[in-house]
This record gives sequence, C-alpha cells and structure tokens, in this order.
Amino acid sequence: MKTAQEMKPNSVALIDGQPWLIQKAEFTKSGRNSAIVKMKLKNLINGSKTETVYKADDKMEPVILERKEVNLSYISGEDYVFMDPEYNSYELRAEDLESVLPFIEEGMNDICEAVFFEGKVISVDLPTTIVRQLAYTEASARGDTSGKVMKPAKLNNGTEVKVADFCEIGDWIEIDTRTGEYKSRAKAPA
Amino acid sequence: MRWDIFCRVVDNYGDIGVTWRLARQLVAEQGAKVRLWVDDLAALARICPQADVDSDCQLLSGVEVRYWAQAWQAVEPADVVIEAFACELPTEYVAAMAAREAPVLWLNLEYLSAESWVEGCHGLPSMQGNGLQKFFFFPGFTAGTGGLLRESGLLAARDRLQGGAGARIEFLGSLVISPVAGARLISLFAYENAALAGWLDALAGADTPTHLLVPEGRILGDLQRWAGSPLMLGEVMQRGALSVQLLPFMQQEQYDALLWCCDLNLVRGEDSFVRAQWAARPLVWHIYPQQEGAHWEKLEAFMALYCQGLSSEAEAALRAVWRAWNAGEGMAPAWAAWLQCADELVAHAHAWARRQAVYADLAAALVQFYRNWL
Repeated sequence: MKTAQEMKPNSVALIDGQPWLIQKAEFTKSGRNSAIVKMKLKNLINGSKTETVYKADDKMEPVILERKEVNLSYISGEDYVFMDPEYNSYELRAEDLESVLPFIEEGMNDICEAVFFEGKVISVDLPTTIVRQLAYTEASARGDTSGKVMKPAKLNNGTEVKVADFCEIGDWIEIDTRTGEYKSRAKAPA
Repeated sequence: MRWDIFCRVVDNYGDIGVTWRLARQLVAEQGAKVRLWVDDLAALARICPQADVDSDCQLLSGVEVRYWAQAWQAVEPADVVIEAFACELPTEYVAAMAAREAPVLWLNLEYLSAESWVEGCHGLPSMQGNGLQKFFFFPGFTAGTGGLLRESGLLAARDRLQGGAGARIEFLGSLVISPVAGARLISLFAYENAALAGWLDALAGADTPTHLLVPEGRILGDLQRWAGSPLMLGEVMQRGALSVQLLPFMQQEQYDALLWCCDLNLVRGEDSFVRAQWAARPLVWHIYPQQEGAHWEKLEAFMALYCQGLSSEAEAALRAVWRAWNAGEGMAPAWAAWLQCADELVAHAHAWARRQAVYADLAAALVQFYRNWL
C-alpha cells in the first residue's frame, strides 16, 4: 500500500476493485499540519473520469505497471504517436496525457516511458528534467542576474512558465516536469 | 434526519468549539437529531459548564453528547456522518456504514482557509475501498465554499447589543467588567506571542486609555511575564494608559457578546476567528502555526480577501499589524499606523460581515448538500 501523497500522475490505483489512472495529483497543506491530495482519475475499464480528494495519508493500493522506453514520433491534431526502439507505435489522445501535455512538442527528442496496463498503453511519462526553448518572454525589466527574480515566458508549444529574469527569447531552459518549474538556463540539445 | 458528528480534540478549543456550535445549530434550526461524539468531555465542559465529564451519554441543548471511548460500542450509523477536521472514524463504525441498507452521507468537515484551491476541492468525493464515498466539505468565505457557522439570530442579537449602551453595560457587568471611561475596549485571545510585551508597552504609553480584556488562555504566561506578577481573575491591573483584566474562560454565547462589545478583538485559530468577523469589529488574527510555515500562505490568502475595498494605507496598516503579530515581532510601528486608519477599519469590518452574511451558513449548506445528495 502507498499513501495518496506517494501516488504520482500516471500511476494506477485499485479502488473498489477498479483500476484508476491518476492523471493529475495536486498536494495541498490544509489545516493543523494535515494535507490533502486532489486527483483527476480515469477508470481504465469503462473510461469514466472523476475528480476526487484524499487525505494525504490515506492508503491506496498501487497497481504494478509495465513501462517501455519511447520517443515522440509525431503529433496529429489531438493524437500523439510514440514509437519504441522496435518501431512499434503507440497512439494516445491528448486527454490521456494531461499531466505531461504542457511539455510535449513536435521535434522533442526526450526518452519517455510509455505506461501499460494489461498490455494497453495508457499514458506516457517524461523524464524528470527536460530542456525546452523559450519562444517568447519580455526583456529583463530589472537587470537581475541572481536568478531569484522571475518573469513569465512561453515555450514553443505555447505553454507558460516562469523563468529567471535574465532569460531571453531563444534561450534553452531546464524544466522539472514534476512541478513544471524552471530549473536553470541550459545548452541547446545536441 | 439523523446526524453523527465525530470530534477528536487534538488541542485547544477549535475542534470542540466548531462541532458543538454546529451540532446545536443543526438541532435548533434544521430539525436534525444529532449525536456528537467527543473523545474529551473536559474540553466540552470548558465551553459548556453543564456538561458532565463522567457521563457517557447526556442531552445538552437538544444534542445527544456521547463520549467517544477508545473501545467502540456498536451503534446504528446515522443518515449523515461528519468526521470533523479529518478525524479517523472507528473502523467498526465505517463497516456499519458500509453494511447499512440505506446509504449514508459521509462528510469530512475540513479546516477553514481562504486559499483559492478550496473552491476546487469543496464537495468533491473521495472513493473509499469499501464501496463508500466520503465527501470533503470546506467552510470558506466565498460562494464556492461551504460558508461559515452563523446561527439565524446571531446578527440580530449582535445588533441589539451594539445598538444599546445599556445592554452593553449590563452584559459587561455580568462579567464584572466596568469599562474604563473613554477607553478603547480590546479583547485578547491568542497563542503564546513574543509580540505581546511590545504591544502592551505601546498601549500603556499611549494618550488614549485602553481596557484590555483577556479570557484565560495560552497567552496568559506572556501576559504575566509582562505584568511581573500573577494576575488574578477579575482584578484590573493598571500600567500607564493601559488597564488589563483577566477573565474566566466563558461559554460561547458570552464570548460572542464580549466580541460584540469590544472595539477590537484579537482572536486565534478558527472558531474565535469566525466569531470575531460576525462581531463586525476590527480584528487581529493569530493563525494556528504550522510546520514549514504553511500558515503564512493561509494568512496572506485571507488578508488578500479581507482587504478588498480598503484604502492602500489601511490595507498596509492591517497587513503590517497581522504580520507582526503572527511573527512575534515588534508591533509598535505597525500599531501606530493602524490607529491612523482606525475609523476606516471599523467601517470595513461592518462591510465584511455584511458581505459574508449574504452566503448560506455552514449548517444550512450542509443540509442542502445532503438534500442534493439524496
């Protein structure tokens, strides 16, 4: 058993005998040192979705999932096609990728992990750290070089992130996909 | 409509204060039959002296108060079950809920917070592993939350007391309080606070007299250190322009009326914090301190909501006092700025109470939630 707090997006919990994919999990401290986790769940048997809340220390039964390395092959509208090293392709809808969708873009070469339940692909995990290019950000307003002052920016796929004030359009940055937060400026991927 | 409310007293009087008010209101205004399960009857007896700490089952204000013993005795679950502040229900009781032919509405009554995420979580289900669903019910300050506890006659009673000098004097007299002529009347209910001494010094050195009323509580140690000697209940200690009077712990209705009588109320935690808002008088909130400073976000979230409509000067003054009080830092500069904006803060406290009164109260919202669920 794991606590609700330990269950991460793209993991599956067995609840009342039904497998539920955790598409999103938001941890929040409530009162007097207790905490809750708000989750978006998808039933892997009937496809129904629900929003739910758990106490952070509620016990959940995790399902062991098969995983396989994949790369993004192409995007066609709402369909995202990934391919494994044996050239097997796996198609997922945007709605299946909710937790990672903001960081998926054409041309990315991150080694991802496809997640399988009973032989069927159900989602994809990104690496913890990814490198993305800034498509737009305002020029530095304060000339801060410490990295503590943040400003809004947009990635090539339109996702908004907060970056250090000294970042410029065209810069490459590292992002923590668990939190969606900027980590540092980075070199362009080879 | 039968309700079981479970209250585990963790510390202080917030748990029992909120559940005791809720239980009574459900009985008095919603026609509910309520069992209140309490694991610490001594805590209840502090705010309800009629409570018998040795009784496993007693009827108080129409509420069946049950001692929540460690060894659980099987009972038939009610139609609506509230676990207050995420207290864990007895395993046997949960099993009985699952086995009950008619479904039971299971609610977790959560902590009060003004943070924006509350609206997104209020009323959401939580699937349990036994076929049961539990719903998270969040009190709050906006239409998207469960509201605040507010008895139907509360504001009218407040207005009667605040509208008549005689009624105010009579009530204060019942607590053996003779307000110092021309003095600002302040109530103080707080956790231990290093900022107290500096603030009391500022009050003592002020031109305007202050009469400070301090119900027994955790701030007493700091108060006595500042006074330099033990304070006796009821006795008035004088230093400069400041008179300090220690009051006995009182029943909830008395405390409400005390808040209504004061020009400023310093309150703490959850229950007294809400009651001070209904008093429609300026307040200073000592928030429950949490690990890793998690309470600061909650404090800032409430201030952001509460300060809407204030001038920038008054907002800055309020924020400065609240932050200094909660940080245990020197209050004198912030307090001086507060006094400059005192009139605006009074008007604002009225307006805030009026705005909050538009929303359904917590008990009514719970009943409505049950009806919708049915």
